[in-house]
Amino acid sequence: MTTRHTARAAFALLLGLGLAGIWQLQKRIDREQRAAMVEADNLTLRSPNLLKRMSLEYQPLVAAIYWTRAVQYYGEKHRLHQANLELLWPLLDVATTLDPHIVPAYRFGSIFLGEKSPGGAGMPDRAIELLNRGIQANPDQWRLYQDLGNLYYFDLKDYPKAAAAFEEGSKNPNALIWMKVMAAKIAGEGESPETSYFLWKQVYDTTADPAVKKNAEEHLILMRAELDMKAINQVADQYEKQTGHRAARVSELVEAGLLKAIPKDPDGFPYVLGEGGKAEFDVNSPLLEKTLMDKR
Amino acid sequence: MRSVWAVAANTFREAVRDRVLYNLVFFALLMMGAAILVGQISIGIEESVIISLGLTAISLIGIFIAVFIGVGLVSKEMDKRTLHALLAKPVERWQFLIGKFAGLAMTLTVNTAAMTAGLYLALWTVKHPLTSSDWSLLPAVYLILLKLALIVALAMLFSCFTSPFLAILFTVGIYIAGLFAGELRTVQAVDLSPAAMSAFRAVSYVLPNFENFNVMGVVAHGRSVPFALIWQSTTYAFLYGAIVLTGAAVIFSRRNLK
Repeated sequence: MTTRHTARAAFALLLGLGLAGIWQLQKRIDREQRAAMVEADNLTLRSPNLLKRMSLEYQPLVAAIYWTRAVQYYGEKHRLHQANLELLWPLLDVATTLDPHIVPAYRFGSIFLGEKSPGGAGMPDRAIELLNRGIQANPDQWRLYQDLGNLYYFDLKDYPKAAAAFEEGSKNPNALIWMKVMAAKIAGEGESPETSYFLWKQVYDTTADPAVKKNAEEHLILMRAELDMKAINQVADQYEKQTGHRAARVSELVEAGLLKAIPKDPDGFPYVLGEGGKAEFDVNSPLLEKTLMDKR
Repeated sequence: MRSVWAVAANTFREAVRDRVLYNLVFFALLMMGAAILVGQISIGIEESVIISLGLTAISLIGIFIAVFIGVGLVSKEMDKRTLHALLAKPVERWQFLIGKFAGLAMTLTVNTAAMTAGLYLALWTVKHPLTSSDWSLLPAVYLILLKLALIVALAMLFSCFTSPFLAILFTVGIYIAGLFAGELRTVQAVDLSPAAMSAFRAVSYVLPNFENFNVMGVVAHGRSVPFALIWQSTTYAFLYGAIVLTGAAVIFSRRNLK
């Protein structure tokens, strides 16, 4: 082997080692940066009016970039299981100020803001502010009223305002008929499992975002279970009327011929009767934890 | 008229020879990348991003060409001394100027038309078939083209009496100031006297209002551009452009070319 070959081999080796070193070093730097990010998020430009002027006539594109940043920020926080979403509002504020007609930013942004932690930022007031701004700029978008109604119904439990939002949205000639039905139902009954199930189904059927869809699906599963338990309780009430005492186990309802078999929750665990003879999840069911989390 | 056409055709050929249209490759790559990427990283704005990104690219690339080539149209001919040979022929100075303007306007039209076709192709990949609301993009592109023509006229005006560097600086400065012309009219300041406010208002009308040609926010969401806005902006561009080009022709005809 000539000296030139040896030099080339040594150079190739050094190059390889150097690149491997850079690769490893970059991984460490990424880790450090990620750790630093937990401490403090950073958004250099957060003044919507300044950004409006700086983006000259290209505001729609800059708005789209800020909305994409908001989606990425939310997704990344979700992935890392970080509850701190302090930059979500400024990002949405900038995006919707730069382009008041960016409807997805209002619709999905309000879900991200309004949902309780860890699913969202737990800022329903900001979510309402965002939706009201969206409605003002896009009065023809009746779905924004649906989102406003959902927020009042699920997050703030303010049923008169929820009913008013559905009612207002139903006045749009393009709005689907159920908006009016929901307005009347919520105004009359307040919260009910049937209404909640229907509203979550609407979110599930119409959303394009996988995270929102998954969240809606989880709520639908819990709603389904809640409806199941309501039905079991009705059967238990009937059993009590017939026998004069409350059943202690679901199997007693089956033995009495009131149920064909022991019903199972959507995760496949049998329902049980708890204290007072009311239907509950089995202690091993994952849905029990989810329900507790949801209520918290 | 024949002289104007001859200069215009020559300017167009020269621009093509100078590989000005190579920017289309960059535009094509940008639109393809956006069409593939945007659906993966954002929610619900695939179409509007393709539209706003496409129109922004058409506008920015066009401005780049209008300013840099527009400034060079006259100054390059003077530096190379080819202007003397041209003016020795039966071509008036104003005809030369109008011909140069028309040549670059033709180049920008071809360039913009090709980019618009690319934009529609990218839009088609994220959403097919295209719907009637997608044709509302064409007025937006047309208004961009009017804006570019006005910028070319301004670049030529400045290049008639100053150095290319300063002409670029003035043109870009006027373009940016023109985007805020509307705001100058409504500026609210406690310290300003009524005379100063009137001066601001006067300046706001003298500056070319480039916001007149901006309907990107409207068409990005499938809304249509009112017809009144199209014809009013067209008249504005023609009137303002005619004034600027007349000014340029007057200055250029008096300029000592020795």
